Amino acid sequence: MFSIILIASLILTIVTIVMFLASILSKKALIDREKSSPFECGFDPKSSSRLPFSLRFFLITIIFLIFDVEIALILPMIIILKFSNIFIWTFTSIIFILILLIGLYHEWNQGMLNWSN
Amino acid sequence: MFYMEFILSLIGSLLLIICVLVSVAFLTLLERKVLGYIQIRKGPNKVGLMGIPQPFCDAIKLFTKEQTYPLLSNYLSYYISPIFSLFLSLFVWMCMPFFVKLYSFNLGGLFFLCCTSLGVYTVMIAGWSSNSNYALLGGLRAVAQTISYEVSLALILLSFVFLIGSYNMMYFFYYQIYIWFLIILFPMALVWLTISLAETNRTPFDFAEGESELVSGFNVEYSSGGFALIFMAEYASILFMSMLFCVIFLGCDVFNLLFYVKLTFISFVFIWARGTLPRFRYDKLMYLAWKCFLSFSLNYLLFFIGFKILLFSFL
Amino acid sequence: MSLTMRIFTASRNGQRMFRTNGACLLAAKRTEPKDIVEVPKGYVYVNNKELSMEMEDITDRAATSMFFGELFRGFGVTLAHIFKEPATINYPFEKGPLSPRFRGEHALRRYPSGEERCIACKLCEAICPAQAITIEAEERADGSRRTTRYDIDMTKCIYCGFCQEACPVDAIVEGPNFEFSTETHEELLYNKEKLLCNGDKWESEIASNLQADHLYR
Repeated sequence: MFSIILIASLILTIVTIVMFLASILSKKALIDREKSSPFECGFDPKSSSRLPFSLRFFLITIIFLIFDVEIALILPMIIILKFSNIFIWTFTSIIFILILLIGLYHEWNQGMLNWSN
Repeated sequence: MFYMEFILSLIGSLLLIICVLVSVAFLTLLERKVLGYIQIRKGPNKVGLMGIPQPFCDAIKLFTKEQTYPLLSNYLSYYISPIFSLFLSLFVWMCMPFFVKLYSFNLGGLFFLCCTSLGVYTVMIAGWSSNSNYALLGGLRAVAQTISYEVSLALILLSFVFLIGSYNMMYFFYYQIYIWFLIILFPMALVWLTISLAETNRTPFDFAEGESELVSGFNVEYSSGGFALIFMAEYASILFMSMLFCVIFLGCDVFNLLFYVKLTFISFVFIWARGTLPRFRYDKLMYLAWKCFLSFSLNYLLFFIGFKILLFSFL
Repeated sequence: MSLTMRIFTASRNGQRMFRTNGACLLAAKRTEPKDIVEVPKGYVYVNNKELSMEMEDITDRAATSMFFGELFRGFGVTLAHIFKEPATINYPFEKGPLSPRFRGEHALRRYPSGEERCIACKLCEAICPAQAITIEAEERADGSRRTTRYDIDMTKCIYCGFCQEACPVDAIVEGPNFEFSTETHEELLYNKEKLLCNGDKWESEIASNLQADHLYR
């Protein structure tokens, strides 16, 4: 466990050093008003970029959240196989996947997956 | 000695990271040359002998360029996202099933899923903190695309994990001694390849960059250091996905030099796909993820549960 | 090896791989997906055809979508392109072909005796669409009509060749040189000496180009 943390911090150090290297090695550092403004092919930005975004993205994220939580619940199934009653295990797994499938088909039916960008 | 194993695995991982970084450099060269030859022209060939030192010259150029400072951006998160992105792309290599089990990961598959899911954050934060409309749009589209395909990725990986019986990547080796999974599960391999293309934001799913639509997508405000790191992170994840494809489908035979040749070939397939296919339309992409691949992977998972029970009953 | 070449050629030309002759066609009757809509004679149906529900066609469509059928053909085309000879030429050492009519850097020519051809008729200045040519003329010491100032602004010039067509004595020509880039703007505003120098330098090539093309001018 400790070695993983160590190698993780080593990689992080290497990457941070690389990024700092870029800041140090740059020969020019002429901060210009034009260079610091957002890029819109030469025009001034038409609208602020902190406005709220389209609702579709949020809905997709919600659907992803549901499926991800279910996947997180399926994850231990294979480990438990060796320690549990095979009938109960089969029943549980199949019911779970069926809930997922029927949930997907129901959403499909209700049009939640339509024109999802 | 108690510390010997610890030090050896540390040195091993450092060596792996360095080799991955060098491979990333040459992967960029491979991409430019292959794309050039696909378009009946030569790729870069002026720099040294046949353009071999090109990636190093590119790195020097990128690092000596000016580091811009976008006004009104959240500079801390803007600065940190490329660092975090490259860190994740390199850290996920730790779960590679290696000669003497680099880190003896009993839950390597789970580790891979965690790192990939975290990678979504970096794109989103990079796009949002750049304070540019187009960066935000690019980042949002990329995030929506990545999370949609991640569900199918996790489910297909789970199907294989059910078949193998463990999250340990090394077991893929034991179960593919007699036949590769590519042969018996060919449609899964094709779907996995497509999902890898979508996860790494490659053509035909490269909405994150979308050069003709959004200039440069979520990394439009990045220059020199940040751009170099994001770029390297993307290519490192391409290499990792190629490695994962070889592990899962092409016989995880890490004790053989041919494994690395296969890895290179799959990276070539990624580049080949970029040269052949045009970009998808965004709603078709979403349709593919939610209606096509998700039903496919769920049904296959159901099949594999039954299959596993059948196999298990023979033990 | 030959099978590989056949696959490459077939994907490049978009042909079917294995030909069936007439007897085979009759033996295994493959039905095309039918138009469900009947159209009168002389009309063409342009909407999407209804997909045929024959078992063969259903399996064909399923197999194509499951195994990425037509995608592999596309990949084959691209792979064939990798092994074709690239069209790149090694520029400083190899250059592309030029025709004798090529319009490049301007030059003022002379007669074989050494006398400059230009008689300051100002037809070229009049016809230049970009008004890049500026001419001032005066009687020379020996009484002939010559220019004192003949400037071509190469940055205004659009290299159309009208001046060359308008000149009655073939004085101003567009030579075959295109590699005359400079580091300052001022060097590109050619004056009469520069143009005459050009003429002397490139005369043999300009003359042979004119000779090759003179029947068409």
